[in-house]
Amino acid sequence: MLFNSISFLLFFPIVCLVCFCIPASQIRIRNLWLLACSYYFYMNWEPAYALLLLTSTVVTYLAALGIGHYREKAGRKACLVASLVLNLAILFLFKYYNFLASNIEALLGATGLGIDLPEFGLLLPVGISFYIFQALGYSIDVYRGTTQVERHFPTYALFVSFFPQLVAGPIERSNNLLPQFKQQHRFDYDSAMAGVRLMVWGYFMKLVLADRCGIFVDAVFNNVSQHNGGSYLVASLLFPFQIYGDFAGYSLIAIGVARVLGFRLMENFRRPYFACSIGEFWHRWHISLSTWFRDYVYIPLGGNRVGRMRNYFNLFVTFVVSGIWHGANWTFFCWGSLHGLLLCIEKALGIGKQKYSGWRKFCHWAVTFVLVCLAWILFRANSLSDAVTVATGIFTKPGMPKPEYANFIAIALAMTILLAKELSDEYQWGIRVAESRHWLVRHIYLVMMIVYIILFGVLGGDQFIYFQF
Amino acid sequence: MKKLLASALFVLIGLFIVDRLGGMVMWWVNQHTYDVSGPKIKYLVGEVHEDVVMMGTSRCDVHYVPSIIRDALGMSVYNGGINASDNIYAHYIMLNHILARHVPKIICLEVMTNDFTEQEDPFNTISFFAPYFGKNEGADSVFRLAGKYWIYRISHLYRYNAKATSNIAGLVINRHKGGDNGYIPVPKPAHFPKALKHSPTPQATDSLKIEYVNRFVSLCKKKGVKLIFTVAPEYTKVDSDHYDVLKGIAKQYGIPFMDYHTAGLYHDHPEYFKDCLHLWDKGARLYSSVFAHDLKKILEEETN
Repeated sequence: MLFNSISFLLFFPIVCLVCFCIPASQIRIRNLWLLACSYYFYMNWEPAYALLLLTSTVVTYLAALGIGHYREKAGRKACLVASLVLNLAILFLFKYYNFLASNIEALLGATGLGIDLPEFGLLLPVGISFYIFQALGYSIDVYRGTTQVERHFPTYALFVSFFPQLVAGPIERSNNLLPQFKQQHRFDYDSAMAGVRLMVWGYFMKLVLADRCGIFVDAVFNNVSQHNGGSYLVASLLFPFQIYGDFAGYSLIAIGVARVLGFRLMENFRRPYFACSIGEFWHRWHISLSTWFRDYVYIPLGGNRVGRMRNYFNLFVTFVVSGIWHGANWTFFCWGSLHGLLLCIEKALGIGKQKYSGWRKFCHWAVTFVLVCLAWILFRANSLSDAVTVATGIFTKPGMPKPEYANFIAIALAMTILLAKELSDEYQWGIRVAESRHWLVRHIYLVMMIVYIILFGVLGGDQFIYFQF
Repeated sequence: MKKLLASALFVLIGLFIVDRLGGMVMWWVNQHTYDVSGPKIKYLVGEVHEDVVMMGTSRCDVHYVPSIIRDALGMSVYNGGINASDNIYAHYIMLNHILARHVPKIICLEVMTNDFTEQEDPFNTISFFAPYFGKNEGADSVFRLAGKYWIYRISHLYRYNAKATSNIAGLVINRHKGGDNGYIPVPKPAHFPKALKHSPTPQATDSLKIEYVNRFVSLCKKKGVKLIFTVAPEYTKVDSDHYDVLKGIAKQYGIPFMDYHTAGLYHDHPEYFKDCLHLWDKGARLYSSVFAHDLKKILEEETN
């Protein structure tokens, strides 16, 4: 079920209504209701894949019980390794096997050893990378002793499958979300309205900004040979806003939905395109994933408490893994590698350590933005050769872009609204329309935003980009 | 809970009022815009009076020059091709609107494989006609079929969603300058198509679309309109006859089928084309002369 579907707009009020009709003291009954709703939400894509979700849940649940049961390190470690291996095996089989097999075939074919490896014909289950990482994070936290073992299975199953963030994050931490499933949540008007406002802003970002940009971006990137340098340039400048609107929009809707139900999910985006260095960009972009990689990959590798070269290596490896996490394609590998490389260069040059102001800040911002946009070309291109065609074509295939001007007016309008809000938030100008002290202003804002979405949104029910990861 | 009810009530009533007021404003915008398709749809729904109406998508829009056809036939002609209207569902909506107030002598429908083959989202472009929702039962039946009937019934503003920015921009930018009764000339392109490429093999036949082709034909017959199917030139290789299904229907009803693509017209003249599927103004004028001549011959043969 998509957040931007009619079925979700019917589903969500029913979930809330029943949830708040169950007395707040009946926490376990409420959790069971939310668990049933979460599985229903997930099974709307492909019912059979709920079994994978359940398998990952059961494996990490039992592994955590095992870790809690054993006192000696070997036993605890064995349980953790079992959890890691089984979950990563599921992820590998569904997400990476075909990619690896086709590359092995090509490699052996090039050396004259032609072999045919069996192909795995099942579709990638929606959100598999998100819930497996969330469940693995729990296993590791239990092993490290930073979170307690959850012995009540339905509560734990709800932690893994909580529908607002199940398919595209934020990837929650057990010590933030799990305790909330044990608290009484009474209906809170202010919290619910704040959630609704977040949802509306998320819908704006997805339907009005991202999907409008997507019309042009998809036309160019899905058929690169038919376009000129001007179109490549415009598409490369629009894609960063498409993916931001799409993913940050989803996260905001997820956070808003959870907030209406009384839960607080972690912040996932903090105005990433205001970053003045690549390092800062990663402190603002997909925060739940970058902190996951920091805590469970970068630090275990030694983090920055090692020699300089080893530190660079750790950083680079973390970003390569992050790239591969996004998808089984060389484009994602290169995208992650490029970010890793840029971060190493920044670290070597000492960029991003001090705060800039004035023109120096502007220059750092501009360079960062251009580099991030260039890297996004790798992320969006369907193949490495397409990425090269687009990146080089900007300079070698001069020509005017052929945009549909009406669509560009809508994009420009949406970007202006986004920029105004983000500038106000970034520099704390104190302009608060959505969060105004006045009831009437807040409500008029809601009405006008919904009307704006109805009129200018792309309401065809497009998938969110991050569902594929 | 009282606070929540007050908020919900305010938002719902506010939405209703703004939706209705916004609907009125957007109707005005839609009726005064000079974007690509708005004025043509408006004309076809409420003003068309010509003897011959050309219908279809962009391939109709940019290929048929009414003044050339008029001079050859001695009948008034309007080019009612709606850019990106895509398939038979859109044409059926348009036909219902036209026939509700005017019965042309001849309707020429520029057909494409989209008119009878499966598509991922076949109802995608019927939203172009949503501003006229509720004004014609035959047209509304397609919205019902597409599952959009109730959403258009509830929200007046949503009817303008597909073309809102285009309509608003069309208040300032006139896209109909130099038009000739619905025909908007395409300027000479910077590059002509380089080589004949294979056109994609058509998808499987869509039985619902075939039903709507039949409905289209029946409606024309019922109103006594002479229907003609046309296929303008394409700069693509002709591997097989992609239109055999429609030709079967045309034969069944005795409808002339003028297929210039399969005949390979202008395959030796890439300089007439803007891209593989569209002629630019020079090609369109030459083609219109050929088409008008052939149409005149068909009409004369039938009269004799």
